[in-house]
Amino acid sequence: MMDRVPAVAVAALAAIFTASPAWSDYPDRKISLMIPFSAGGGTDVPGRFFAAEMEKILGAGIIVKNVTGAGGTIGATQLSKARPDGYSLGFMPVGTTTTQPHIRKTSYGRESWEPICLVAQGPLYVTVLEDSEIKTMDDLIALAKSGGVVTGGPPPGSLPHIAQAAVSKAYGVKFKYIPHEGINEVVKSMLGGRVTAAVWLGDAAQRFKLRPLAILDADRSAEFPEVPTLAELGHPVESHVWFGFFAPKGTAAKIVGVLSEACDRAVKTESFAANMKKAKRQTRYLPHAEFKDFFQRQFDRNGALLRELGQVK
Amino acid sequence: MEHLPLAIAQLASIEVLIAVVLGTLFGVFVGALPGMGTVVALVVALPFTFSMSSTAAIALLLCIYCSSVFGGSISAILINTPGTPQSAATVFDGYPMAQQGKADLALGWATVSSVFGGLFSLAILVVAAPQLAAFSVRFGQIETFALILFALTCIAWVSRGSTVKGLLAGSIGLFLAMIGPDTMTGMSRFDFGIDELAGGFSLISVLVGLFALSEVFYRAATGGEAGKAALLSMVGFRIAPWPEWRIRLTALVKSSAIGTFIGILPGTGATAATFVSYAEAARSSPRREGFGSGEPEGVVASESANNAVTGGALVPTLALGIPGDGGTAVMLGALLIHGIVPGVQLFQNNPEIMIGAFVTLFFANILMFFVGVLGAQAFTRLLRLPEPLLMGSVLLMSLVGAFAVRGNPADVIMAVAAGIFGLLLRLIRIPMAPIVIGMALGATFEQSLRQGLMLTDGSFLAFFQQPIALVILLLTALVISWPFLRAALRRCVAEGRRQ
Repeated sequence: MMDRVPAVAVAALAAIFTASPAWSDYPDRKISLMIPFSAGGGTDVPGRFFAAEMEKILGAGIIVKNVTGAGGTIGATQLSKARPDGYSLGFMPVGTTTTQPHIRKTSYGRESWEPICLVAQGPLYVTVLEDSEIKTMDDLIALAKSGGVVTGGPPPGSLPHIAQAAVSKAYGVKFKYIPHEGINEVVKSMLGGRVTAAVWLGDAAQRFKLRPLAILDADRSAEFPEVPTLAELGHPVESHVWFGFFAPKGTAAKIVGVLSEACDRAVKTESFAANMKKAKRQTRYLPHAEFKDFFQRQFDRNGALLRELGQVK
Repeated sequence: MEHLPLAIAQLASIEVLIAVVLGTLFGVFVGALPGMGTVVALVVALPFTFSMSSTAAIALLLCIYCSSVFGGSISAILINTPGTPQSAATVFDGYPMAQQGKADLALGWATVSSVFGGLFSLAILVVAAPQLAAFSVRFGQIETFALILFALTCIAWVSRGSTVKGLLAGSIGLFLAMIGPDTMTGMSRFDFGIDELAGGFSLISVLVGLFALSEVFYRAATGGEAGKAALLSMVGFRIAPWPEWRIRLTALVKSSAIGTFIGILPGTGATAATFVSYAEAARSSPRREGFGSGEPEGVVASESANNAVTGGALVPTLALGIPGDGGTAVMLGALLIHGIVPGVQLFQNNPEIMIGAFVTLFFANILMFFVGVLGAQAFTRLLRLPEPLLMGSVLLMSLVGAFAVRGNPADVIMAVAAGIFGLLLRLIRIPMAPIVIGMALGATFEQSLRQGLMLTDGSFLAFFQQPIALVILLLTALVISWPFLRAALRRCVAEGRRQ
């Protein structure tokens, strides 16, 4: 009993001293990866695939934490206030990081993050039901001119909402937009004949048998090679949903280095590619420096788009 | 059905059997913990499914899904706290039964009703999934609005004796549902600039606060006398004799049908289903006077309906790829991770997966019965624990549950605040159930109304031109005016006799 007390003290002291330069042997304990949407959802699926690879490469356990609510801003707020020691990281989509800060008062913004790498993306498509009479963009626009197009999507200020507004503006027509909880509810409204069209990700088109009329990207996609880009149709509107890997601002450069190197390896593994393919998701990798630049441009551009829509408060 | 042998062959592996047994046990257990609902149970299990075969993964998740809904009834009956929001209506009659020393009987009613509801909805799922899915999408925003309005009449049944107080509590619940994100504008409402409130109140934390924590606080405040009655309760599990069941058979079948039907409508939710079912049973039952004070039929109505939702909610999930509730949404995500795309294609491309799911569900429901019977022995003994110990563990589990739902520490604070609020309400005798009803239904109520008005360009009149909605609205009007009508009718009859 007597000699146990010093032993504990020594262990505690040792822990304090060895821990002092936090990054010297980073990572030496479990890392938490915050995903601001619920398990099994659009952000969670690529996030968990990514976490599984990072775990192997970093040699430290990664605990995925789904902190949900308010367009992902609850989780992002938590992460932005976390200690930047490399043990609190996040996997977040475009909306949470670049549109939400413009449409509501979030305590985080453009400068709250250390963007580490871009991991995945999905271009948006203009879609209608497969058995719909609308076969082309021209059909849709013709219907819109008679005032008959109802579009559905997530709450105003979300990326699909901005995108459908950009499309209607490019064509000079009006869509009646009905906000829904998410794609499931939108498809239900489409099947019930209450909503005509939705601007959404390609995997939803595959899942629900929707007909993509056009892709909002510079190039055609491998998933739907026969679907024209809006640029080909004369109205160059582009919009992507993307998913990136973030650390809170102030994370030591050395830790960011370790993470971005690991990220580079993770997205190139065969198992990651296989998982993404199985789940019909697109990998898009941008390394640290490029992603940082990309993130800031996206933040400013989405802010400008939202101001045009009158969504900025 | 030619795929049945193949499906059974796939299921007859050790891995799948373990998944089924563990999934059912785990589901009942987590469901019974206050605050840890179906979604939490599924999310906890989700990472384990990545390394499983897809058959075992589906089996595990399906078993957890069904059994957690049943598990919620155990704590609802024994400690006045619904383990899951779906069991909120079980409290109304289940807990009074336990207070009268009939906890064993109440668990019997709940278990058999749950299994019956589960199997009933499974049968519907097997027979008519594609046809029902096609119908479910016709049920739009306006119809949903009408249905939720009907469910809200439940407030009247749980606040008898003090309708004004009940309406007040119901309005508080509806208001609580308005705090936080507004789907229709994308703005955050009533959050006073507090980040933690921007996501709104989580139903679970308010639920554990109002029921579990306020119970703990109340017993602490009254020196523990309030719970004395429950200590006399019988240990174990007892199924009421057949004559008791026979007179409640109509309610059992009707509630199962209501649960299945509402389950089929995506986005309406299991909680709404139990309130609709309870309100309908209370309206039509010859034993309606006993509702709210330990009438087994209340437990039957709630528990058969919430388990019937499971089969119903799988209809749009499997047939259309549109999840019917929060639990099926998590399962859908798991399927996608395994490269299985639910929807029309699933019926054509992977019929063995569908049949396998049906067989699993059948066994899960049967197994659930035995877990209920055996588990009741242990759970009812919990009530014989010294009260400080029991209340201490309730407190701990409730707070963990409140946190686990969204991983938000603020939810714990909200749960404690709701607990203190609940204590105040108990002291001034305002019923708490209407708050939960209002809050559980509030978001859908408001959203369907506003979406409906957008679709009709602001015309309320158009709501009455939809035939389905019209029928439900008329039924709602009938329920609300029934006491007056009945009184008027009696007067007429009495006068008729005198002449």
